[in-house]
Amino acid sequence: MIRFVNVTKIYQPDIKALNKINLHIKPGEFVSVVGQSGTGKTTMIKSLIGEEKIDEGKIIVGDWDISDIKKNEIPLLRRQIGVIFQDFKLLPKKTLYENVAFALQVCGQTPKKIRSVVPQVLKIVGLESKTDRYPHEVSGGEQQRAAIARSLVHRPKILLADEPTGNLDSINAEEIIEMLLRINKFGTTVVLVTHNREIVNRLKRRVITIENGSIVSDQAVGKYLI
Amino acid sequence: MPFATILLSILRAIKFSLQDVVRNFWLSIVTIIILVLALFSVNTLLTMRVITSSAIDSIKEKVDINLYLKNESTEAEIMALKAEVSNLNQVKTVTYVSKQEALESFKDKHKNDPDVLEALRQLNKNPLTPTLVIKPKQVGNYDDLINNINRVESNIIESRNFDNPKAMLDKINGIAVKVNEAGMFVSLIFILITILVVYNSIRVAIYTHQREIKIMRLVGASNWFIRAPYIFSSLIYTLFGLILAIIVFYPFLTILQPYLETFFSGYSFNIISYFRTGFWRLFMLEFLAAGAINVFASWIAVRKYSRV
Repeated sequence: MIRFVNVTKIYQPDIKALNKINLHIKPGEFVSVVGQSGTGKTTMIKSLIGEEKIDEGKIIVGDWDISDIKKNEIPLLRRQIGVIFQDFKLLPKKTLYENVAFALQVCGQTPKKIRSVVPQVLKIVGLESKTDRYPHEVSGGEQQRAAIARSLVHRPKILLADEPTGNLDSINAEEIIEMLLRINKFGTTVVLVTHNREIVNRLKRRVITIENGSIVSDQAVGKYLI
Repeated sequence: MPFATILLSILRAIKFSLQDVVRNFWLSIVTIIILVLALFSVNTLLTMRVITSSAIDSIKEKVDINLYLKNESTEAEIMALKAEVSNLNQVKTVTYVSKQEALESFKDKHKNDPDVLEALRQLNKNPLTPTLVIKPKQVGNYDDLINNINRVESNIIESRNFDNPKAMLDKINGIAVKVNEAGMFVSLIFILITILVVYNSIRVAIYTHQREIKIMRLVGASNWFIRAPYIFSSLIYTLFGLILAIIVFYPFLTILQPYLETFFSGYSFNIISYFRTGFWRLFMLEFLAAGAINVFASWIAVRKYSRV
């Protein structure tokens, strides 16, 4: 599903954010990527959605080599990969429904499709009763669930979660991880970038540890090593 | 991409751009006011051009040379002279005005001047002479025409009236050139200010929507869809600016018209009808020109600042 072949990303003057990364994530896997701040985890996510261009190597998503992706192809790539972040990235002046619908509107979907898809994904994340609330009227966990709903509207094969529990208390964090596991169960490949030792250890899934831009450990049923 | 999807995206982009214009209300107002000033100055320049060119035409219309003939001239002599003058290269027309016609024209011209009419009555005879009125082909050839007429030998010519209007035309042309230059300069300054203001308005609009743009990129909105609302905004500014400029300019023309009527007395000229006749053509031309300038300014701003 995702393949990194000798991927190197250098930030000027000569900071190697990713250093000859080789990685293969199979369809339907749940992978945690761990490591200290500044080790290259977020650069990995950014390279996967075409936000950062790599300097060497190849990144293949499905059958698509995105290493030299053209600017006009990036939107198509992003419709195939759902992404959630620590800061939720919701629009404060839109309701949860509008936030999710916005992702479909800007991609040219018809009102009919929007009316059918948005309630479905909001139901999946358990927000069907809070569709008219604004982000500031719901908890952090619910905001992250709305962000997950938004990331699911294009029915992506891959979901990238960059520190999704970073702003949440342990109960809400647990809920979000449960939700990601449920989404993974339906066949979506999930890549979770996190600092949370407890979560990683409890998941008992594949763990990739990155240090100074290189993979130092890749365990099929791993633990948080650092 | 199917046509319906393209249409839907265009309509959504227009909706987003209208939201932008309304949300940044005061910024939009300032932008539109600057546009109104720019369009007003361009239209004033256009009006000045129309007035000066009409003034020159009206003077050209009045330019003629009178050959006053002796009272005792016979019709045959006059016709022979007329034919000779008509054959000159620089002559457009030659009109023969008989003694009687000259008198009637004189009376008509002074119908509101009882002193003159009374003096004429007391004279008890027609003091006017027959005349050949010569119109030149081109005012620029006036000197050559005078030289040629001076060469015409005829003993029925009483006198030759050669008031040269060329100096006056040159003066008007000079004023017209200066007015045009000043108008162009003012218009150029306003156009430059407009470009800067539109550029800045779009830049601010982009800054206020940075988060939105970031999310749009994240969820896979195309570059076109992200940029289009700002381009549409510049066209909305153009449309409102143009409509307001017309609303302000029309009363200005109404105030100007009576002064022009006095200035162009005896010559049919109406600046309001001039603008009315070509209204839609002028509207479209100005919309296209101002729209192109504003789209250019906003395109630069969008390219530079929408990379969130």
